[in-house]
Amino acid sequence: MSFQKEEAMEKLSRRTTLKWMGLGAALLAVSRGQAQQTPTADQLVKGKDAKLIVLSQRPIVLETPYDLLASQPERTSKEILYVRNNVDLPGYNSVEGASLEGWTLEVGGLVNKPFTLEAKELLSLPQHEVTMVLQCSGNGRSFFQPRTSGNPWKRGGVGNVTFRGVRLKDLLESKGVKLGEKALFITAHASRQGNAAEFVRSVPIHALEEALLALFMNGEPLPAVHGGPVRLVFPGYFGVNNVKWVAKIEFTEAENTTAEQMPRYRVPAIPNANIPILPQEPGKTYPYSFTNSRPNWLVAINSFIFAPQEGQTVEGPYVRVEGVAFNDGLVPLTSVEVSTNGGRTWFRATLEGSGRSFGWVRWRATLYLRPGEHEVIARAWDAVGRSQPLDGNIAWNERGYEYNGVMRVRFTVA
Amino acid sequence: MWRVLYLLGPLLGLLGYLALGQYNLPEGPGKDLVLAKCQACHDLGLVARERLSRERWDAVLQEMVLQGLKVTPEERAAILDYLATYLGTAPPPAPPPPQAQAKTGAQVYANCQGCHGPSGEGNPPLFPPLKGHVAQILGREGGRAYLLAAVLFGLQGEVRIQGQTYNGVMPGFAWLSDEDLALLLNHLVGWEGLPNFPPYTPEEVRAAREKALTPEEVFSLRQRLSLP
Repeated sequence: MSFQKEEAMEKLSRRTTLKWMGLGAALLAVSRGQAQQTPTADQLVKGKDAKLIVLSQRPIVLETPYDLLASQPERTSKEILYVRNNVDLPGYNSVEGASLEGWTLEVGGLVNKPFTLEAKELLSLPQHEVTMVLQCSGNGRSFFQPRTSGNPWKRGGVGNVTFRGVRLKDLLESKGVKLGEKALFITAHASRQGNAAEFVRSVPIHALEEALLALFMNGEPLPAVHGGPVRLVFPGYFGVNNVKWVAKIEFTEAENTTAEQMPRYRVPAIPNANIPILPQEPGKTYPYSFTNSRPNWLVAINSFIFAPQEGQTVEGPYVRVEGVAFNDGLVPLTSVEVSTNGGRTWFRATLEGSGRSFGWVRWRATLYLRPGEHEVIARAWDAVGRSQPLDGNIAWNERGYEYNGVMRVRFTVA
Repeated sequence: MWRVLYLLGPLLGLLGYLALGQYNLPEGPGKDLVLAKCQACHDLGLVARERLSRERWDAVLQEMVLQGLKVTPEERAAILDYLATYLGTAPPPAPPPPQAQAKTGAQVYANCQGCHGPSGEGNPPLFPPLKGHVAQILGREGGRAYLLAAVLFGLQGEVRIQGQTYNGVMPGFAWLSDEDLALLLNHLVGWEGLPNFPPYTPEEVRAAREKALTPEEVFSLRQRLSLP
């Protein structure tokens, strides 16, 4: 490189450096001054734990801090369960239940007998219970590099909850409703009361098998902020598909065309091809269409390490490593493996329970570790051989959906 | 010396850039349009935290149009330029020198007009009018403090204004400075032609901030006004 060129570059980078410095100093000062002005989670939603991280005030988006999530490994309580509203329903920002009085539900589309139902009638139909993972399809987004757009979730956009309510297929049967041949999708609409913006989402008709009109969560009336008085839940499907405050259910021939269905909440895919995602060059955009992408439907197989936690110091040499794992519930999980040498060798953990499950399954392993620094990673496997990528960035997509790369935890053995 | 700065500078800059306060949009042409158009539906924080390429911002705008954003082609181009320049993948240009003239209430009102209209006429049934209604509020005992609280902390609850019911969420604007909020409030008062109304002052705003009310508490303040 010629001297002149070098000098020019030095000038240029000196200018850039100064620019960055000035900007940084100014912004640090400003953001410190703002800190007290941001409302806390309990101010935004009555009854939520104040420790929840506010990712957005409007619409309300709250993330469960990871240590809090891990402190309730059986079931996630309503106080700490994450919130991801796309549309806020005015007046429904509380963990208390919402009144069924006056709530109506319309069922139509490609059926022989459309009908409208007083939602409180659901209480007199047979009730079913399902424990399932509720997870935002953007959970883990902030691990994608380069940065993708959307709420910067770490791993706290997930919970394990028990819904109770009426199976959609039982309701159809009780009304003597038959589906038309072309009823290929279930399209659910959220209430628009109080002039709320529309929210519509479609899932494949397969989801009818387990679909539940949920009225209760964890044994209590379904919290208003989580979709009470009635939410249409699809066990095994990502959070976005479980339409809160459901007002209308249609059986349709095609997916709906609102932004929540296209281009949002989709990943690149080759239609009918057996690969979870069509890999993209990170940072590039993709021309999403109904035929070159798939919606965030089935929950991707995943596992989380709840103990030890990042940065912790634990007693050795026998170290208990534990966490939870889940898939879409279509087949059982077969194993969770842990490794402390970056994946060179794996140690099989003990799974609590076998068989299919929409809820997460706890696992644990006891490792013999020397004093010093360690990094443990975990990955789940299921009966059709699905597992998690060692490098989650392989699934990079511009909106950052469906991250399921193995989790890494660094800790010290005393 | 320079070598050290080369390492330290970008680091400090990057930290600051990433720590960008939730609502702090950098100054630049097009910012007013972002303030006016984006806040009707969501936080500005959602915008301020992103760092996207021009191509991606373009796609985001397309998405927003699908979700109801109304912009002319010129407005869209100006917003895209602003976003790609000031919230892009490269650091933004240096901020323009401080304005020679003092800021006006009309400039601060850019934050409000996306919902309440350029001259406070509202946008029923989603967003209530301000013109006329502000006079109603200020005519009640406690109205002055309520108006300030509503702008600072937001409002949640069903209200009836000029025969129309509104039940949306009014966000708080506590992130604006005391000076800006006083200017804004006096701008609203100015529409009503209340010659003897003592103007809001930055000190008054500062004192009101201390109370840190929730939008529901502001709503109960409103109910005490017994508006028609």
